[in-house]
Amino acid sequence: MFHVIFHAFGGIILRLLRYVGQLAFLAMETFESIRVAPLRWRLLLNQVAEIGFRSQLVVVVTGAFTGAVFTAQTYFQFHRLGMDSAVGAVVAVSMFRELGPVLTALMLSGRVGASIAAEIGTMKVTEQIEALRALGVHPIDYLIVPRVLALLISTPLLVAECIGLGIGAGYLVATKVLGVSRAYYMTNMLSFTTGRDIKMALIKGMAFAALIGFIACEEGLKTANGAAGVGRAPTQAVVIASLVILISNFFLSFFLNIFFPAGSY
Amino acid sequence: MIQVIGLHKALGDENVLCGIDLVVPEGGTLVVLGRSGSGKSVLLKHLVGLFQPDAGRVLVNGEDISGLKERQLGPIRKRVGILFQSGALFDSMSVGENLAFPLRESGMLDPELIQERVAEALGMVDLAGEEDKMPENLSGGMRKRVGLARTLVSRPACILYDEPTTGLDPIATDSINRLIRRLQKRLKSTSVVVTHDMKTAFHTADRIAFLHEGRIYFEGTVEELRASEDPILVNFIEGRSGESD
Repeated sequence: MFHVIFHAFGGIILRLLRYVGQLAFLAMETFESIRVAPLRWRLLLNQVAEIGFRSQLVVVVTGAFTGAVFTAQTYFQFHRLGMDSAVGAVVAVSMFRELGPVLTALMLSGRVGASIAAEIGTMKVTEQIEALRALGVHPIDYLIVPRVLALLISTPLLVAECIGLGIGAGYLVATKVLGVSRAYYMTNMLSFTTGRDIKMALIKGMAFAALIGFIACEEGLKTANGAAGVGRAPTQAVVIASLVILISNFFLSFFLNIFFPAGSY
Repeated sequence: MIQVIGLHKALGDENVLCGIDLVVPEGGTLVVLGRSGSGKSVLLKHLVGLFQPDAGRVLVNGEDISGLKERQLGPIRKRVGILFQSGALFDSMSVGENLAFPLRESGMLDPELIQERVAEALGMVDLAGEEDKMPENLSGGMRKRVGLARTLVSRPACILYDEPTTGLDPIATDSINRLIRRLQKRLKSTSVVVTHDMKTAFHTADRIAFLHEGRIYFEGTVEELRASEDPILVNFIEGRSGESD
């Protein structure tokens, strides 16, 4: 019994290590390509439009409604303690440090990660990636670099948009619907929110962008077994990227808090 | 000239190629025959570095390409073109864009010159004026022709054909066979054709190699193959499985 559990657990650890190794190898090849190969600007701009510009709706709606409902729930609890004016500070710091980056990343892993994995996966099973190689074009230069760079450029901007809309919607709900004083709300929010919170949000955004990009590309590149494989690739990409975002966020929060501690002191 | 020396390759647990020795003379056409799953395509992909051998060497014009990194293979791949079994057209690009792609990637920027070369390549495969069609609107035979035109547009010194007639009707098969022969006469390029279709083999080959159980079982001219009384070769040529009803 103990042997079976040990064996199963060991298998999971080995698979995990192998996967991390594959991602690290892909990341290494991507950064090597950025260093030595000419950048395809047209492809990069297309990907920024596809990944960044066209993801705005989902990010804006997520940010605004999360900010609004989070403000309402915080108010319902704080109101009983007579701390209405602290709602703005809690919402703003939470949006910057956790909700903005994580929700944006989760939305992107669903919209963009799935699409990248499906597109590259289809190219893999229809020999289009081999055709690229046969024509002397490195698939990392042509497919991976533009997508990963576009994610690294777009995600921090989308995180900022999500946070801005979340805080804005929270402000409207607190002051127009729940009757919190505008002056106290703004004063507390501004006094508890610092540049460190903004830096933390943007660094998390960049880290999650890299994770989504490499996981989605890796799942696409290792697609096999025809249509069934192409169907599996986006699902795998979304599930793995979402779990990795949530788990890595926990460690990132602790790590980044050393350099960018919360609060106005 | 392409030379394969002691090539070994395993995929998973299966030994696909077990010590292949082969020479493709310059300007000649070698047809590699063998049953489905015998490793013909795997052998072909080694010739352009798409697979790396477990052991052995592949020499292209005297240069050993086994063990070269992906970036180092770029210049060799511009000299050795391959037609994939499915055509492997980029489905997000039109026919014209598919053909212009290798030219643009090799640094050609003049749109008029690109257009001229694309039209010339499409003319060679009897598809002049089809630049604006999308791959999804092409028949199987047309896809292969466009794939071949994309290979030809870079004017490679050597052309590799992976099952050029598989999945085509007899008329389209004959048309592709004649096209391959016509191109060989016109371009004088070195060619390797991988197929299990005897009509294609007899129509296009200068020499024939028969791949069986991971090894070159026979190598010789078309006449030598026809004259062979080896039961494995005879069964293959005549399409006999040896099973009873």
